[in-house]
Amino acid sequence: MNRFLAMETLRKWVPLLVLAGLCLFFTAMNPHFLTPRNFARIAISSSPVLMVAIGVTFVILMGSIDLSMEGTVAVCAVLFALTLNALGGSIAGWGWVAIPVALFVGAVMGAVNGLVHVRLRIPSFMASLSLGFVGIGLSLLITGGDRILIDDPLFRSLLTVRVGGFPLMMYAALACLLVAWFIQDHTTTGRNFYAVGGGEDLARASGLNVGRLRIIGFVLAGMFYALGAIFAVARLGIAETETGRNFMFMSITSVVVGGTALRGGEGGVWNTLIGVLIVNVIGNGMVVIGLADYFQDGVLGLLVITAVWLSTDRRSLSFVK
Amino acid sequence: MSGDLTLTEKLRRHLPWITLVSVLLLVGLRDINFLSPQNLITLSSDVVPLLIMATGMTFVIYIGGIDLSSQSIANMATVLATISLPALGVGSALLVIAAGLVSGMVSGVVTTRLKVPSFISTLAVGGIALSVGQYASGQQALHMDTEQRRQAFGWMTGQTAGVPHILVLALAIVAIAWFMQVRMLPGRTLKAIGAGEPVVVASGIRADRYKILAFALSGMFAAIAGLMFSVRLSGGSPTLAEGFLLPAIVAVLVGGTPLTGGVGGVLNTLIGTMIVAVVRASMLYFNIPATGQQIFFGLVLIVAIATTIDRSKMKVVK
Repeated sequence: MNRFLAMETLRKWVPLLVLAGLCLFFTAMNPHFLTPRNFARIAISSSPVLMVAIGVTFVILMGSIDLSMEGTVAVCAVLFALTLNALGGSIAGWGWVAIPVALFVGAVMGAVNGLVHVRLRIPSFMASLSLGFVGIGLSLLITGGDRILIDDPLFRSLLTVRVGGFPLMMYAALACLLVAWFIQDHTTTGRNFYAVGGGEDLARASGLNVGRLRIIGFVLAGMFYALGAIFAVARLGIAETETGRNFMFMSITSVVVGGTALRGGEGGVWNTLIGVLIVNVIGNGMVVIGLADYFQDGVLGLLVITAVWLSTDRRSLSFVK
Repeated sequence: MSGDLTLTEKLRRHLPWITLVSVLLLVGLRDINFLSPQNLITLSSDVVPLLIMATGMTFVIYIGGIDLSSQSIANMATVLATISLPALGVGSALLVIAAGLVSGMVSGVVTTRLKVPSFISTLAVGGIALSVGQYASGQQALHMDTEQRRQAFGWMTGQTAGVPHILVLALAIVAIAWFMQVRMLPGRTLKAIGAGEPVVVASGIRADRYKILAFALSGMFAAIAGLMFSVRLSGGSPTLAEGFLLPAIVAVLVGGTPLTGGVGGVLNTLIGTMIVAVVRASMLYFNIPATGQQIFFGLVLIVAIATTIDRSKMKVVK
């Protein structure tokens, strides 16, 4: 067997091995880690991040990056809650309209992001960072800094009703993951994301409208951020500007740790699932073994550096900015 | 070189200070007291921490990178300054500066040696700095002892003939940074890296070392900014400097240092910071709510990037 290929195969499985290793480690430190109740806790904290991370996966597959998720999630969460409360306060009645409204808002914000990046020819990390700030400002402007409470029992059943020990939220998130996987693997758009990420010149030469594709990627990402916002609101029963907090760091770390390369063209939504689980298992495990949760940002920082470092083929890069 | 510049190029070079003067005049027309020397001095000394942070960030943007860790490093600095003040007195400044320098160096090493793009490496280092700040502070707001603060940093908070010392200090720091950028070898090398890195590498210069220096300076300046902020508010917390990142990046870019690097510099950032300060203050005069600021500056950032970026340096925009 070719040694190079063996290395490549190994590299592909590293994230899964890391996840298994982490679970073993935390179980060894404290057997309470390996209980269904704790796994349900991990599932709850993972669901919103998974949505956001899937969204940014599409963008990263194209070799771009999106740093606007905190703003987009905040705006979607706030508008979702306001619409829900304005239309009767229950998704059993007309309140369900809030869900498409949130998705639409996410899509619009993604479209603006994509248009600024593509039409004004600004690097995506800066375009999206700026628009993320705009989004946070918008959500502050809408709420005036207040919290919006949601007490619709049907909507909160995403968190409260459990099937097989796990909350409904997890099954909904997995369903969305399947949709994302379908988009990624079985639609032309999804395949084209890989084409652009693998080599933009070739993609362009073979007649792809790369600009339009990038905008579609950002729109798709925005819609998944909206889903993340809805899950985040269901989890806490509160929508506010703070709802978006920490999503940027968590989701980017998850995508990178899952094995999707920042240069694009490699990885996908299943990698992101593994990455989200790694990040949340670390967060949960640190609390279970008695470490304060504020170490989490530091550990994630080290993790992301290691992951990018391991996934970079340094021979092919002359310099990095 | 200046002979064959087109009209738009010339205009672009002078745009920052023209903007500053017009904004000042615009607010002055509304309320002439705004232009009184006393008000302008207050305005400038209020913006000192931002100026210092933006000055540091200029070096990183100058070489075509970005530093997203500045705000977290400043946060960490406020905590470290506050907890080390009783034991170290004025020496706590050195500790804080060293912590910033090391954080910046880590970003630099990760970016250059491990080839991690700077927006990711600084984001990660920012996360680490945040953890350090939260750990050291026990996740709460800390306060400096008034007497200890006066003894150690009284020289920083005082005034002479109506001019706050902090303003003089800030201008001295900017002057040193400017001297380094214009007259010293590292500064010239950073300009060369921003203008065209492959050429610098081909000339046998160890570009990586200078890039690490740029990140280290940025981290150090962010820490100094945090220290000044902490002394002013007489305390520290892991979220004290929240809201500094956007105005700092805006100050650098509005001042005329493009995201692609190579031109602009410290003096541009001085003008950029003043623009940010005046715009911020004028929003009060025009009754724009504070929450509108973030939206406004976010949009200004996009316009500033779009108009200053050098597209000939980017074959593909990712």
